[in-house]
Amino acid sequence: MSVPAPDAALPLVAVVCGVPLLSEAVEQALQGMAEVRSFPAGGGDTAGFLRFLRPDAVVVDSVDEAQQAVRFARDAGATLVHVSLPDQRLRLLRTGGWVEYANGSASPERLRSALAAGLLRKGSRK
Amino acid sequence: MRRTSVVVADNGPIFRSGVRHLLERESDFAVSEAETFTDLVRAIELEAPDIALVDLELPPSGGVAAVARLAPKCQTQMIVWSFEASRDTVLAAVAAGAKGYLHKRISPTGLIRSLRGVVRGEAPLPRDLTTLMIAAVHGLEERDRVRERAVVLSGREREVLALVSRGARNRQIAQELSISEFTVKRHMQNILHKLDLPSRRAAASFYRTAFEPTGTKQVERIA
Repeated sequence: MSVPAPDAALPLVAVVCGVPLLSEAVEQALQGMAEVRSFPAGGGDTAGFLRFLRPDAVVVDSVDEAQQAVRFARDAGATLVHVSLPDQRLRLLRTGGWVEYANGSASPERLRSALAAGLLRKGSRK
Repeated sequence: MRRTSVVVADNGPIFRSGVRHLLERESDFAVSEAETFTDLVRAIELEAPDIALVDLELPPSGGVAAVARLAPKCQTQMIVWSFEASRDTVLAAVAAGAKGYLHKRISPTGLIRSLRGVVRGEAPLPRDLTTLMIAAVHGLEERDRVRERAVVLSGREREVLALVSRGARNRQIAQELSISEFTVKRHMQNILHKLDLPSRRAAASFYRTAFEPTGTKQVERIA
């Protein structure tokens, strides 16, 4: 897969999703705070792809992709958010493991705050 | 240029916001949102949108019920969509009055193309769902044929057959209908003879084909 160079001025958020419209929602939630790029889920070596891309944050919409993205997120200190659209659940990977928000809590505001906090934290360490 | 107004009726705020973000980038769409059936009714009354994208799980009673109630009363083209679609669901939605059915896993460009197609009078239905629809229509024809054959059964024989289709044994059927096991056996023999079926299992399958709910049946119940 050929990936254009990211805009160096903005943090990069990779959305690896089976529901492409999720990427639109992430873009809307971050509104210029980050460069958002969408990649189809189920492509195979997601962990390897993320190590190559080195995004500052990752959003996934399936358990499989979440499992594959965990190691990269831990190694790279990247924010990892798992959004399950059918049951409207959102969970965020923290140092101690996944923090799950209550059912039905997956809102654009929650998504924005989860990603923005992680991006700011990562930005301050750079 | 007149913009196509679209109401996104879905109780998932992230999903709604994604659809809104996508459509608002296009100059030919105006978007509003509805979280529930009540919101959708209000949006239709106030804005008379051209298209409503209705989630299959729209609260409180689901998208098919919503379409069944609204489609006969308004000009808005209803498109039902969901993450997963079954043959009966697609058929129920279309029978309820939906103009088409889409996967929520549709690509952004696919969604825009589908909505523009609706404006031109096209019915959006992905290829795999078209196959499901055709299978569903064939299923309906088969059901009608089977139902025609079932008219030879008496009311009591039909009751016996209904219990057989649920796996009941003769003794259980006898208890349920307050008749003797001997009478149940006689009814079973008559059923197999009248329907020209080889076995009890075939009779059970016959009953399920003829009388189990399908998509249209669901719509009949909703209406």
